[in-house]
Amino acid sequence: MKIQSTRAFATQIVLGSLVALGAGGSLGFAIVDLRRDISVSANSARVLEQRIAETERRVAEIGGLVAAGQSPEVLEERNQSLALGLVPPAESRVVRVGISVTDRLAANRKAEIFAAETGQNLAPIRFNLGGAPR
Amino acid sequence: MTARGFAHNLRLHLIAGGVVVSFAVVSYRLVELHVLDREHYLSQIQDARHRVIADPARRGDILDTRGDLLATTRTDITLAIDPWALPEKIEAQKFAARKAAFESEQRDARASLAGLLGVPTDTVETAFAPAWKSIPVTDDTEDEAPDGRVRVRYVKFLEGVTEEQFSRIQALRLPGKKDPVRIAGLTYERRFRRVYPHRDLAAHVLGYVNKEDVPSGGVEAYADRYLKGLSGWREIERDGKRTELAQFRQREVPAADGWGVVLSIDCAVQHIAEQEMNALVEKFQPAKATIIISDAHTGFLLALANYPTFDLNEFGSAPLEKQRNIAAADLVEPGSTFKIVTLSGALNEGLVTPASKFDCTLDSLVYNGKPRRFMRDDHHFDHPLTLGEVISHSSNVGTAQIGMLLGERRLYDYARAFGYGERSGYPLGREEPGLLADPARWSGIDITRIPAGYSIAATPLQIHYGMGVIASGGQLFRPQVIRQVLDASGEPVYTFRPAVRRTVIAPATAETMARMLQKVASPDGTAKVAAIPGFEVAGKTGTAQKLIGGHYSEHNHVGSFVGFFPASRPRVVVSVIVDDGHPPGGGTAYGAIVAAPSFRKIAEQLIQYLDIKPVTAPGVALAAFTSEGASR
Repeated sequence: MKIQSTRAFATQIVLGSLVALGAGGSLGFAIVDLRRDISVSANSARVLEQRIAETERRVAEIGGLVAAGQSPEVLEERNQSLALGLVPPAESRVVRVGISVTDRLAANRKAEIFAAETGQNLAPIRFNLGGAPR
Repeated sequence: MTARGFAHNLRLHLIAGGVVVSFAVVSYRLVELHVLDREHYLSQIQDARHRVIADPARRGDILDTRGDLLATTRTDITLAIDPWALPEKIEAQKFAARKAAFESEQRDARASLAGLLGVPTDTVETAFAPAWKSIPVTDDTEDEAPDGRVRVRYVKFLEGVTEEQFSRIQALRLPGKKDPVRIAGLTYERRFRRVYPHRDLAAHVLGYVNKEDVPSGGVEAYADRYLKGLSGWREIERDGKRTELAQFRQREVPAADGWGVVLSIDCAVQHIAEQEMNALVEKFQPAKATIIISDAHTGFLLALANYPTFDLNEFGSAPLEKQRNIAAADLVEPGSTFKIVTLSGALNEGLVTPASKFDCTLDSLVYNGKPRRFMRDDHHFDHPLTLGEVISHSSNVGTAQIGMLLGERRLYDYARAFGYGERSGYPLGREEPGLLADPARWSGIDITRIPAGYSIAATPLQIHYGMGVIASGGQLFRPQVIRQVLDASGEPVYTFRPAVRRTVIAPATAETMARMLQKVASPDGTAKVAAIPGFEVAGKTGTAQKLIGGHYSEHNHVGSFVGFFPASRPRVVVSVIVDDGHPPGGGTAYGAIVAAPSFRKIAEQLIQYLDIKPVTAPGVALAAFTSEGASR
């Protein structure tokens, strides 16, 4: 009886330990897996952050290069090196139009339209004012 | 049975005991690790894995009024080498074949690196060559046998490597290899660096940030509180390969990038001014020169160019003399440009009218009971000059008589009201207040000299904004350069408004003055070369002899032309001040010779760029000028 009781106790300890090991192991695996997931997510976020930072750095670098490339001094040098012959506008080369530019453009466009229509063999309209034939 | 049972029981007990002992040992070890030696191990982990990483804020951009970048911040990479890292890694390889392969791979990688960076392979090999340096034996703690020499573990290899170059270095692959190769001993440091894409454009306005990130002068120093931002930091842990373990980030304070600053300076206008400055310098070889362009309605500066100047990206090699903003920090005698103060004062007080006439053939006049001798005029006038002729012919004698009419105290008060003798409030850097003595300290002849702009000294900015009073319809503006402050996302945080310091003269007086100043740039005036047909140029020449060794020099002059246009509806005020110019072929560096032509060239380009419309009938729009002047 005594022996049986001792065996039962030892068996219980072994079984309990095995169960504890199994449960602990499972829990451990679960925790490790969870932490691995956290680690993967955090690293993904870190990599993304780095990429964003890298992109921002490249944008700033390229922005600076573009600004330098658009510098008036550089543009003038290119004008000379490429022999474009561009010159700054000067008052002496400007003809100032007294009437409204919009009206002038509209008048030109109307004239073009009428000319085109006339070209399509449309009969020109003639208004006789006061009934007097011309 | 008994024996088997005993054996069985014994095994069970042994196993149970073993399990219990194992648990006990593990438990003890856990207690030891987590309780007894906790502090020790934590500090070890802290030292090995824990780091506080600074997250520097990016300095904000400086933009011109159209949004073009004038100053920006980009990352700059410095490559450095630990020359001993390679021998140590080779030594760590166990097999001779691997050693040879590794050495060969690294040699190829270094050759590729040289190709990427465009430097000779020999240079790279020299930098990677292990070296020693001597130190005092007492400081030699590198190994157990102090011999007064230690390994050189840091060699700065190359500064200014671009992000593009660096990403290519990181992606460097050798032929036949799939993965990028890591060059043993090659390290890098990335930091922000301020760059100025337009080099010397508006150098004295912008200022610069030195290599210690300390701003020096200009907008960089003045607006530093907006531009610099707030650096952040984060606590991280790293693994054995020094890679951050992102999941263990503990505390993080993100950096707040600096705000942007939008200036009133216009790149194109500034370039026009600097281009003309270059032409002027080439032609007249002056000691110094300044060109200032401002908005007549608001006082905001559109351009400020000085000679000498410097490249902002090479500030280290520019002497301090070139870095001084002479427009605000240097004094010149304004000469005849000051006459507008005398005449405006007398007109505003009702002491004279445009029709008032003055005998400009006089040598002297009794003032306060004493005869006062006039400065000679360059021309002889055979008839009394009207007020308009006094200014258009720039008569010293006539102006002195008007000054006498005004009296010392009122002349002084008007000069102060026009901004002479006090700082203009220019915000960027050191500014001189100028020299304008109280009338109590004037000598007997000062009443004949000061009305014509002698015996006083002013900065080019003071002279410019003095003319601005006439252009604005009577108001003195504070010089301003910053238009807006933008937050890191580019949204406006604060917008600066025009700042009127005071109303100096009545709009009607300003209108009368503008009409008279138009005659300066007419065929009868002193600066007919400044005239632009159809654009009502108003201005004043100035030629002041320089005071050298206590005497006025006959050969050294400050020539200037300060004006605005169109006179009836002013858009811009332009000042050209040339200190000690030398006209080709000799002769005096009159303002009409050294400055007025530049004014005209600048004005012609501004007409196109700013779309300034001609005034077909001169004086037609004066009503608008008068009515708007008071409210500006």
